[in-house]
Amino acid sequence: MTGIPYTWEEGLVIMGIMMVMLVIAIGLSVWKKIGIAREYTYAMIRGGLQLFAAATLLYFLFEFEYWYYPIWLLLIAMALMGGYTSARRAGKMPKAYRITTPSILVGGTVVLIVLRVSGAMPFKPQFVIPLAGMVFGNAMTICSLALNRLTREFETNKPTLETMLSLGATPKEAMEEYGRMSIKAALIPNIDSLKTLGIIFIPGSMAGLLIAGTNPILAAEYQIIVYLMVIGGGIITSIMVIALSRRLLFTKAQQIAEWV
Amino acid sequence: MSILTIKKAKKMLGDARALRGLSLDLEKGEIISLVGPSGSGKTTLLRSMNRLIELDSGSILFQGENIADMDPVALRRKVVLVPQESVMLQGTVKENVQYGPKLAGAVGKCDVGRCLRDAGLSPKFAGKDAEKLSGGEKKRVALARALALHPEVLLLDEPTVGVDPKKVERMEGTILKFAREKGLTVVWVTHDVPQALRVSDRIANLKKGVVKEVTNASEFRWEGAY
Ligand SMILES: Nc1ncnc2c1ncn2[C@@H]1O[C@H](COP(=O)(O)OP(=O)(O)OP(=O)(O)O)[C@@H](O)[C@H]1O
Ligand SMILES: [Mg+2]
Repeated sequence: MTGIPYTWEEGLVIMGIMMVMLVIAIGLSVWKKIGIAREYTYAMIRGGLQLFAAATLLYFLFEFEYWYYPIWLLLIAMALMGGYTSARRAGKMPKAYRITTPSILVGGTVVLIVLRVSGAMPFKPQFVIPLAGMVFGNAMTICSLALNRLTREFETNKPTLETMLSLGATPKEAMEEYGRMSIKAALIPNIDSLKTLGIIFIPGSMAGLLIAGTNPILAAEYQIIVYLMVIGGGIITSIMVIALSRRLLFTKAQQIAEWV
Repeated sequence: MSILTIKKAKKMLGDARALRGLSLDLEKGEIISLVGPSGSGKTTLLRSMNRLIELDSGSILFQGENIADMDPVALRRKVVLVPQESVMLQGTVKENVQYGPKLAGAVGKCDVGRCLRDAGLSPKFAGKDAEKLSGGEKKRVALARALALHPEVLLLDEPTVGVDPKKVERMEGTILKFAREKGLTVVWVTHDVPQALRVSDRIANLKKGVVKEVTNASEFRWEGAY
């Protein structure tokens, strides 16, 4: 039922062979002075450890009868992690996590509820956890992109924004165009991957289904459902983070905040 | 009757003490020039008067009401700033002039050609891309844009820098006319002392964040001013 053609012990051997290849590749990059060896090695070790830790957790959760108690904690942890990570993309904006965390939480949760209610996501950890990971992961990426763009627009267009304010615009009116631009820009990667779906890009979850032996038509259908929902969550998150950011970008007296 | 009263205004910007307890009283319908060295706080004062920045202490009263208690948007439509830098909004000159009235829901009452002419620009400019204008043209669009709001107080921060003398005459003429005929109150920051003498009723001399002296324009001695 696994779809993977070897046992986990054999897998370790295969991984070992891959490591050798990678070490050679990293050796090459050191030799060519590309300057990524250190960061790459660090990222690989960190990513690998995180993945194994997550796998261990999943292994026990899948076996655990009352898996849905800790699952709430996991979802909140995902939103918190996403919120903090995303807040670092907000330039000099102070306390940005206060707007990224709720945006990611709401965007992600709405989508999970729709997935659940529509029947696309059975209430089983095998479905809930990976789908939540995808949904929250994408919400976080979009949140970062939108907020990063917006804070940069503010930093470069401060005189324009002040001109609008001085002509009687409310903060909402003054930032409208920049907000729209930021949301659009944040969604570009999603839209592009939607366009190339199936051509150069077989998404991870479909690849997973195919490897596990699902009928390709069914797998594609499921992928599309999941994809649309994931993107929907991103849209909700980006709209929300832009709306919430107004409180941090402007003062109560409708001036541009001092940190900009 | 005084229309604007500034009382002991203090403001720090970064580590600069931009305003250090500045007081000034403006009469309705008068034109007052602010002169003084670079960095003496002229721009900071204008920006606090239409509340683009908040004072650290002290107060500004507009028609007797503390502006800190007013709706900032309502204030900015009456006490209108023409900033030192003329930033054009995206779009045509016409769209720039209509920007304020449109937000106020009064675009129907906005005569773009008239505002442009008052600011020393030909109405033919209306359809041009505002961001591609010359520096002096932008200055005049900025004035037209402010006039379109029918302000009660006009805060001008070096409005004629980079404008040719003929158009400067036109701009000065308009503002004088608005002050005399419509009771427009004008605060006019300038480094051009002859201009200050030409247009103003009174001249306030700023130094290091305070008003050092206010004189009638006819009695102004400019040796002490800088
Ligand atoms: N954003 C800012 N951050 C830090 N200091 C500032 C800022 N803006 C102005 N200042 C400082 O505040 C002081 C007053 O500046 P202001 O712009 O009001 O001077 P000004 O009289 O308008 O000068 P100018 O005639 O050159 O336009 C100056 O010392 C200036 O360096
Ligand atoms: Mg100045």
